[in-house]
Amino acid sequence: MHLKQFLTGSAIFICAIGPAASGQAHFAALIPADDIISQGDGKQLKLAVKFIHPLDRHYMEMARPVQFGVLQNGRKTDLLATLSEGKGKAPEQDRDFTTWRTTYQVKRPGDYTFYLEPAPYWEPAEDLFIVHYTKVCVNALGLEEGWDQPVDLETEIIPLTRPYGLWSNNLFTGRVMVKGKPAAGAEVEVEYLNESPGNPSLVKAPSDPYVTQVVKADADGVFSYAMPRAGWWGFAALSEADWKLRKDGLEKGVEIGAVYWVHTTDMK
Amino acid sequence: MRTRCNIVLLLSLTLLLMAPCAVLAHKVNVFAYVEGETVRTESYFPDGRPVAGGTIEVRDRSETILLAGKTDEKGLFSFPLPKKEDLTIVINAGMGHRNSYLLKETEM
Repeated sequence: MHLKQFLTGSAIFICAIGPAASGQAHFAALIPADDIISQGDGKQLKLAVKFIHPLDRHYMEMARPVQFGVLQNGRKTDLLATLSEGKGKAPEQDRDFTTWRTTYQVKRPGDYTFYLEPAPYWEPAEDLFIVHYTKVCVNALGLEEGWDQPVDLETEIIPLTRPYGLWSNNLFTGRVMVKGKPAAGAEVEVEYLNESPGNPSLVKAPSDPYVTQVVKADADGVFSYAMPRAGWWGFAALSEADWKLRKDGLEKGVEIGAVYWVHTTDMK
Repeated sequence: MRTRCNIVLLLSLTLLLMAPCAVLAHKVNVFAYVEGETVRTESYFPDGRPVAGGTIEVRDRSETILLAGKTDEKGLFSFPLPKKEDLTIVINAGMGHRNSYLLKETEM
């Protein structure tokens, strides 16, 4: 009886500290209203930018990004000035957090790779800064060209699977690059975005390891993961920058993440 | 026994005939936009290859064909804006390769 009470108490205690510990991963999120623009759709594409724990839906504060743009047909367009500030939070969070949003006018057929470089985020719990170089690809009007092209970010995931029009349970394969070279053995964190539009019910993790799935890249920086549910999936390949940032006069390490978002749809 | 052989032969033949269809599975697309008083069309396969020598037909709201023409080697075909209303631009590349694009009056 005493033991049982002790165990129950411990479980509550572990649950309580859980969210503050490393059971969840940070993800910069760059989520378009759709991953495919068809003829009948409006060509005004809404995009949401936020810093979030995707599965537990907890938002974090996000300063104005350093870089935001789109790569289409080999050409980059700076969209930083189009970002406007918004607010967001999980229902159980007691305050609002800064998010960003924009509307992009799609003009031509082709693949549009949107890319984001947030301002460095100071994470006291890990005593480091976090910078997530984030991408998402939207296809327009049936021309499937450009999704495999690099944006040339400090670190980025180059998709080896066409990153749109994916079914649930499809395998997503990508290559992690750091400074233009494959990142051998990179660790890739994978999370489901619980606030995905159309998610019929919130996914609850039975225990911490379920929250963030972890796969490792091979010697060529290539990783794969099969996505078991419809909605948005975030992939974050993490490495340590070879540069430091200063915080209160001290040099601190920087975690750089190559983040990629893909959307899956159930076969019906 | 002979019948079974024939069935196998027939199946093989069918598969052989179906092989070129894998290429035919490439859907054609047409995209159009207005530049001044000119309508420009681009016809392409999903991988970006142009649809060369395809037939373009332009229809108005009442489905009347206003004009027709052929795409060049880059898959392009342009024509003067014939009417300021919603236009349906149809690409026909033969062998059931057909698609259309609705150019809205608001885009003119």
